[in-house]
Amino acid sequence: MITAEALVGMVRDFLPRQRWYAGRETPSKVDVVWLEECKGPWPAMVDVVVDADGARYQVLVGLRPTGEHPDFLRTHDDGVLGEVDTDAGRALAYDATLDYELGLALLDRVTGGREKADHVRPVGVEQSNSSLIYDDRLILKLFRRLQPGPNPEVEVTEGLGRVGFSRVAAPLATMTMAETHLAVVQPYLPGGVEGWALVLTSLRDLFGVFDTQPMPIINLNAAPPKGIDPAEAGGDFAGEAERLGTVTAGLHLALAEAFGESSADPAAWADDIASQAAQVPAADVDQTAIESVLDQLRGVADAGAAIRVHGDYHLGQVMRTDTGWFVLDFEGEPARPLEERRRPTSPLRDVAGMLRSFHYASIVALHDRQETDLAQAWEVRNRQAFLGGYLAKANEGGILPSDASSVEAVLRAFELEKAVYELSYERAYRPPWTHIPRAALARLTGPTAANEERP
Amino acid sequence: MERDDRWYQRAVFYEVLVQGFNDATGTGTGDLAGLTEKLDYLQWLGIDCLWLLPFFQSPLRDGGYDISDYFTVLPEYGDLADAVELVDQTHRRGIKVVADLVTNHTSDQHPWFVESRQDRTNPKADWYVWNDDDQRWPDARIIFVDHERSNWAWDSQRQQYYWHRFFSHQPDLNYENPAVQQAMNDVVRFWLDIGLDGFRLDAVPYLFERDATNGENLPETHEYLKRLRKEIDASHPGKVLLAEANQWPADVVDYFGDGDECHMCFHFPLMPRMFMAIRREQRHPITEILAQTPEIPDGCQWGIFLRNHDELTLEMVTDEERDYMYTEYAKDPRMKRNIGIGRRLASLVDNDRRVAELLHGLLFSMPGSPILYYGDEILMGDNIYLGDRDGVRTPMQWSPDRNAGFSTADFAQLYLPPLMDPVYGYQAVNVEAQHRNPSSFLHWIQRMLQVRRTRSEIFGTGSFEVLNAENPSVLAFIRQLGDDVVLCVNNLSRFAQPVELNLARFEGRVPVELAGRVQFPRIGELPFLLTLGSYGFYWFDLLEQEDEQR
Repeated sequence: MITAEALVGMVRDFLPRQRWYAGRETPSKVDVVWLEECKGPWPAMVDVVVDADGARYQVLVGLRPTGEHPDFLRTHDDGVLGEVDTDAGRALAYDATLDYELGLALLDRVTGGREKADHVRPVGVEQSNSSLIYDDRLILKLFRRLQPGPNPEVEVTEGLGRVGFSRVAAPLATMTMAETHLAVVQPYLPGGVEGWALVLTSLRDLFGVFDTQPMPIINLNAAPPKGIDPAEAGGDFAGEAERLGTVTAGLHLALAEAFGESSADPAAWADDIASQAAQVPAADVDQTAIESVLDQLRGVADAGAAIRVHGDYHLGQVMRTDTGWFVLDFEGEPARPLEERRRPTSPLRDVAGMLRSFHYASIVALHDRQETDLAQAWEVRNRQAFLGGYLAKANEGGILPSDASSVEAVLRAFELEKAVYELSYERAYRPPWTHIPRAALARLTGPTAANEERP
Repeated sequence: MERDDRWYQRAVFYEVLVQGFNDATGTGTGDLAGLTEKLDYLQWLGIDCLWLLPFFQSPLRDGGYDISDYFTVLPEYGDLADAVELVDQTHRRGIKVVADLVTNHTSDQHPWFVESRQDRTNPKADWYVWNDDDQRWPDARIIFVDHERSNWAWDSQRQQYYWHRFFSHQPDLNYENPAVQQAMNDVVRFWLDIGLDGFRLDAVPYLFERDATNGENLPETHEYLKRLRKEIDASHPGKVLLAEANQWPADVVDYFGDGDECHMCFHFPLMPRMFMAIRREQRHPITEILAQTPEIPDGCQWGIFLRNHDELTLEMVTDEERDYMYTEYAKDPRMKRNIGIGRRLASLVDNDRRVAELLHGLLFSMPGSPILYYGDEILMGDNIYLGDRDGVRTPMQWSPDRNAGFSTADFAQLYLPPLMDPVYGYQAVNVEAQHRNPSSFLHWIQRMLQVRRTRSEIFGTGSFEVLNAENPSVLAFIRQLGDDVVLCVNNLSRFAQPVELNLARFEGRVPVELAGRVQFPRIGELPFLLTLGSYGFYWFDLLEQEDEQR
């Protein structure tokens, strides 16, 4: 009903306006590699896959006759492709995920009519997908940036489902183009709250409870104000952190079972981290100290197993529901090539990601406040709780180094890797935030207390 | 007026300690006549049913839960005529009255036990549970571990051991014996004839014992309760049986039978979780336990409460896997200290009126019939130095007068001293002062009970559904009965919070706030945005357009 030629120019202008577009400039060239009519007029829907400057994208095009000016586009100029000739007449082309009616049609298409819904709503801002939620019961993810081969989200959640790990949203249906996944439908976790939001709730409470300024008046003989033990705060998160650690360990044991174990290669890990660290400006880090952390990693005799991991594990990827923690988004860091994201590595890499997330949250929640000691007390308590829950369960499975000092050496190296990555990210996108990874690097490479507080 | 046999599904209960409420005779101890004098107050407050703690003849070694004569009123509280008058006057005000009934055991002073222990052949020889050794039923746990070392106690007179699940001065009745069952049925019928509207059945899980079991929740116990229910339904329809089974909701529901056993059961784990949710400033402690609470049969109801002399104790928690509280309690020294039987609501919330209001807002809107504890409507405090449960049983504070207006006796004669500290003492906290002050907590509760009464059908029996909210500090839920929809939104945090609710299925309806009838913007296609102040909560009617215009 519509030709690739008619679309190419519009898509070229459309891509740079999308959050999920990886480039910054208008692509020099757009090629349509696949085009399929999903729904006839009107509204019509055409699924289009394009190559643009070496990357591949999915654009789901909605079409309505010109002159309709649908309401849902009024606040979404970015979602309009333009006017186009179709064999059913001239039509306005736009991002189909904005269209309520087409959203419902898409569910029908992906599930082959097995799932029906009354209501659909889009999820807010996302990096590499567009998601729609149906009746607060199902979520459909439309993959925008495509790489050849199975989508890791689908591959991993299916694999985990096969070995009976229930803390993920197992796919109910997928849509594919040859070997490439285009979309997946999963159960929507009811009552779920993102780990990041919960952690900020805990920290907000902590900072609201304790006033660390001494109060010099009234009764000088009275007991001193409460200390800064976050265990005494109402919003204590340690119980949740411990359970999250247990679920994370369960995830890793299940990943090892589903995708196999290979032998660890601490020397290669160290080299990889070293090359990343080499790109950090000398002023920001002490390269000698980094080398000494990496030498400790190289010196680990038993570094545990290498397994398939989450790859981008942080508080934004876990959800607390009424039945406990769930893990989401197995796509890994979208900036890395698919091959690299699927490569087995140490499970402690995920653990390091989560621990870095605890640190970030504790600092972010401070805002303009000065109570860094409180923030650190919170972080120490919760990283210990998380590690306690994690190690207790993961140690059952033989995927970790067999002795505690090796666990610490591997973990520290991966925390360092993460902090290095954060530093370059913050320098590029959020310069005022670089103090967070800087503080982490100083701590990780220094002989300071934070390292000794680990179990 | 048509008889309403399911009144308890919509009722607000008020738990009252007779000795602590009002002393009409100047003895220093509250009494039934004193309670009768205060019925106008309770009617004004807006409660639907009184729950009286035990008022029967008793040596009072366990707060009256050790009954020595089921047919006699404890003389300190009055006599049978006072009981009849109380029931009569309560009914005249449209209020029901239920009483605590201890069926599992009696006092060791009860004539039945006195006779039973004489020898092994007397007519009541097998009214209690006797054995030659103390080794039988080793799997039955000891409930009062701080006080008792065994469930068996030696009786030197009869030269045998007798069975007691609670204190050793409270021998368990032998429900294997039909004569015992009949005797208890006679007790029930006697008080129903006088006009009581039902009973809170104390310690029901333990009525029977069986080898190789833990002696709890046995099928025989359920069969007995069903027979009791059947008899009551036949002779006295419209009465209520409220089971005290301090167990997990999934196990407690067995006491509803198929709607043919107890009408009501307490929901024990909900209470500490409401406090925990506010302490954590997030909703999961509440939503998690409600997600684990099974549907209950038609005609049944949960009894929910903030304070009550029955508490969830950690010993009751047997399944760690299911239990969030197990780790949370263990980690939080303050929770461990405070959610015990020794504290009142006001102390638990640091006397924060906003939190007290929010907790009552939750209590009045969640699935179940709310049960208030006397004195909490004026945010009375406690005196933990009185020990055991006495700290929360101090005299009701009626006025700033002598003895808090509770009694004209000499101060030294009072059963317990009233609170006199500067914050919670009766000079500061009393009914008279709060009644004169329209912005008092007492008036607030009274108004909220009025509002709840207008929606008691939906709050009592409507479906319950938690809404997804990204903000963990907000607990929003829908109560729905047929076409009537009430939306409740609660901010569990001390900080202002926003929430976006997906109300697409109610698109076109108009939220009207229940207390002030203020109309909010019509629900559209987009998520509905609300902002809530510190510990704020809203109840909304979601009205169809045509209703809204009337």
